[in-house]
Amino acid sequence: MKRLLLCLGLIVSVSVVTPVADGVAAEKLITGNMRVVIGSKSTGGDTYQNSAIVAQALAEELGIDVKVDAVGATAAFKTMERSGQDGNTIMIFHDQAYLAYLYGIKGSADIFKELKIGPTIAINPGNAYLVPKKSPYQTIDAIIDACGKGTKVRVAIQPGGVSEIGYTAMKNAVKLKYPGSEENLVAINTGSQADKNQLLFDGQADVINGSVQANEQYTRLPEDDQKAMRFVWLTARKGTIEQANPEGMGQTTRDDLMKFVEPNAVVPYDASSNFVFDKEFIFLYNKNMSPELVAYLDNALTKIYAKGEIQKIQKKSFFIPDFLPSTESGPYLMKKMERIEKIISGMK
Amino acid sequence: MDLLADLTPLFFTLVFVGVLIGILFGAIPGMTATMAVAVCLPLTYSLNLREGLALLLGLYVGGISGGLVPAILLNIPGTPSSITTTFDGYPMTVNGDGEKALKIGIISSLFGGLFSAAILFFFAPALADIAIKFSYVEKFLIIFLALTVIASLSSNVLVGIFSGVLGVWISLIGTYDVSVGGNGDTRLMFDFMVPYLEEGFSLLPVLIGLFGLATILQEAEKGVKDEPLCADVSLSNRAKFSMRDFKGQIINLFRSSSIGTFVGMLPGVGGSAASVLSYTQAKNFSKDPSKLGTGAPEGVIASEASNNGLTGGALIPLLSLGIPGDSTTAVLIGAFTLQGIQVGPLFIGENMETWHTMMVALVVANLVMFFVMFFAIKYIAKVITVPKYILYPIIVMMCVVGAYAINYGIMFDVWTLLLFGVFGYLSGKIGIEVAPLIIGFILGNSAEVYFVKSLESFGTLTIFFTKSPIAMFLWVLIAVSITYSIYTTVKSIRTKRANAGH
Amino acid sequence: MKSWLASLFHVTIDFQESHMFFPTIVMWVLLFLLALIFIIYGRPYLCALRTGERTLSFSTSHIDKLRLIGTLVLTIAYFLSMDYVGDFFPNTGLGFLFMSIPFMFCLSLLYVHNLNRRKFLTLSLNALIAPGLAWYVLAKLFHITLP
Repeated sequence: MKRLLLCLGLIVSVSVVTPVADGVAAEKLITGNMRVVIGSKSTGGDTYQNSAIVAQALAEELGIDVKVDAVGATAAFKTMERSGQDGNTIMIFHDQAYLAYLYGIKGSADIFKELKIGPTIAINPGNAYLVPKKSPYQTIDAIIDACGKGTKVRVAIQPGGVSEIGYTAMKNAVKLKYPGSEENLVAINTGSQADKNQLLFDGQADVINGSVQANEQYTRLPEDDQKAMRFVWLTARKGTIEQANPEGMGQTTRDDLMKFVEPNAVVPYDASSNFVFDKEFIFLYNKNMSPELVAYLDNALTKIYAKGEIQKIQKKSFFIPDFLPSTESGPYLMKKMERIEKIISGMK
Repeated sequence: MDLLADLTPLFFTLVFVGVLIGILFGAIPGMTATMAVAVCLPLTYSLNLREGLALLLGLYVGGISGGLVPAILLNIPGTPSSITTTFDGYPMTVNGDGEKALKIGIISSLFGGLFSAAILFFFAPALADIAIKFSYVEKFLIIFLALTVIASLSSNVLVGIFSGVLGVWISLIGTYDVSVGGNGDTRLMFDFMVPYLEEGFSLLPVLIGLFGLATILQEAEKGVKDEPLCADVSLSNRAKFSMRDFKGQIINLFRSSSIGTFVGMLPGVGGSAASVLSYTQAKNFSKDPSKLGTGAPEGVIASEASNNGLTGGALIPLLSLGIPGDSTTAVLIGAFTLQGIQVGPLFIGENMETWHTMMVALVVANLVMFFVMFFAIKYIAKVITVPKYILYPIIVMMCVVGAYAINYGIMFDVWTLLLFGVFGYLSGKIGIEVAPLIIGFILGNSAEVYFVKSLESFGTLTIFFTKSPIAMFLWVLIAVSITYSIYTTVKSIRTKRANAGH
Repeated sequence: MKSWLASLFHVTIDFQESHMFFPTIVMWVLLFLLALIFIIYGRPYLCALRTGERTLSFSTSHIDKLRLIGTLVLTIAYFLSMDYVGDFFPNTGLGFLFMSIPFMFCLSLLYVHNLNRRKFLTLSLNALIAPGLAWYVLAKLFHITLP
């Protein structure tokens, strides 16, 4: 709620200075075509979908062609190092951008040093952990306790990013509650959602990382179906899920989803706070892009969000609008990164 | 009837336009069905879901089918899944049977497409439950089975196997990607190469380099003679095509379509494996296996029936598990998400009308593909009469576009094209066999992931034999395939010796 | 007995090193096959060399050096210049368009035999129209990213 107010306040404050901003916009700092490279190779994934929504809005606002290219993280970072000083090429990615670096994945860049952090645009609140419907573990607590009692629990994840961070948090929670037992929570490193699901079907994993979007239908299968699953934890903040449309996803309403975030499903971070993680989508710019261009794009996005149209489209696609201009997104993400870094290095 | 309300003239127009653009993309060396679907995906924002799907399914079917044209006429696979079409299709063109090969290919494509659509319609949920019985172990064995084709495809078994393994090795260069569950480390390169090679070589640039650019280099070496590819333009004065060409091929048609559908429904095994597998089986079951590879219609039938069989097959896991069966359906999933529709195990039940419209679109797309291509053949086939000094520069240019665009704008892929063009040219000189090499390259990555992940999960090699009855059955097939290629090799050596003795 | 057998087939893979597990196997297989090829085909060949039945010098006279090397040089120049020129017109595909025209023209000229006016006209028109059409359809209509 606080952030929402902040956003609103920002929109108001910006609209006060709009006359100046309009002068800048009239100059049209970016001409020709804009290319948005994204950190994912999939055109069916959330990064592409999100980028497509923003790209379309930007194209209308700036009066230029904007095209999204699903080049993947490595190629996108390379592209951003080379071009984009003129603002014609920008990158959109999510927290994976710095998580891969924290996890020490080769070829990943320290975005805070090598790139310029642009605004955040939206949250995908769907990052989830699931168990088979017949699983003995009813809650995330039960999983933590099982590890504490010496049971080996296998979690299927994709290593080095958003998929692993929840696993690291769970491991950290086991360590907090039952020091020394964290070895009982084991990662099964795998790839796509299909692979993670398959490991669950095969009985090779007890818990998998998944998402509300991709796994919701599986949670509605009858219990005797080999494919049936059950949510145990959503990593998103309570406040994030609260902003979703009440219909939620598929047949699972927002109220249903609330059962899997704190205070109903809790993974402690330290003695005084819980671990929560919103998968946020961010703009990334070339290191040498001029402050005028940064302000120009901030302005354009501020206007887009002020109109309120984009929020509806995002919410319809189960994204939570979350606009922070560049000035605030940098420090905000830095803080988020530092908090995560602590548990990742604690597990090494 | 809401279904009828959806079948507007716009719907059919979109299928038609989709098929047309798809064929074009498939037929241009370097452009693929996946690319066609990807570039048209943004167009579907303005359409509703069912219209969007009509367009995209048209593109999918058209794109997969169009690949046979350059494969048969120019010896360049238009899409990765038409690679096995070149094995017999191009020799047929050289023999003056280009038009016949095209017609056989198109009819086989139609059959494969309709066959798989029927399977999809009647058995999708049941087959999805079978598909999830295939874990890493079984998938590895399927890849291994497809790899056994290498032995029977090569002219010298030992060199052929070496080329195949070399292909696997080349495919491993790059990063063990986290997106397949790897640790993100680079391998098989020196440190200074990392900035260039960390993403490895992409399939399409390697393919069109080895087949397209290498051919042009070979021709350049010979001085690019003035006459066109096929001096004999009048394709029709040879034995004309008739349905009699399919005599004795009914089993082949069914077998190949089934293999295509089946491989398509296994997520991650990949589209190209389908045609490779069905080509092997055609060869293994053929009455005269030595003919395959020299211009036998049954090779074209096997390849084309299976790669169109793939279309329906790949839609099975997409619509009944929410998981794409191949790279094109992976893009297709975007159309659903962009429209806010979830695909998953409950999709068909909850979206009956969309499901029925999709089936109509799929069947119509196959029919449109057939009529467009069958009657355009006369004109398409004229490509080979274009003088080389005009044709070759166009091919190089289109290969560049394809290589650059396949990963949405990566310059390194263009250099890959050149690298493998030169490599293909040189390997012809030193005796490395290109067909086994490319098959090894295509299958190498999945072989690694499935092999390593199986061992990570189970920790013992015995699991490959004891995992499940399916695994044991696959071993039987592998054994048959290997025994068979040993048998034919020994036989051919004997006949050679006998001939030399005379 | 059984446990001995089981341990024989037992494999543990360290995730941190797993990127080399399969490549190492493939490399050994490759070396083994290479050795086999050498034993079966290489040794007789070397023997033939020693006895003078064969010679190492192979003739390059049948190679059309101009066209072969010309193709390579043109292609390399094409790729380099396309990337370079493209940087001046970011994300428009103009680098591709501007460099494809001279490249196609030169390659056609290199390949053509018995050049006459008609042929020259055809290949010039082709060099102009083909890249233009490709650029227009792909970059403009389909918004495909080109250099």
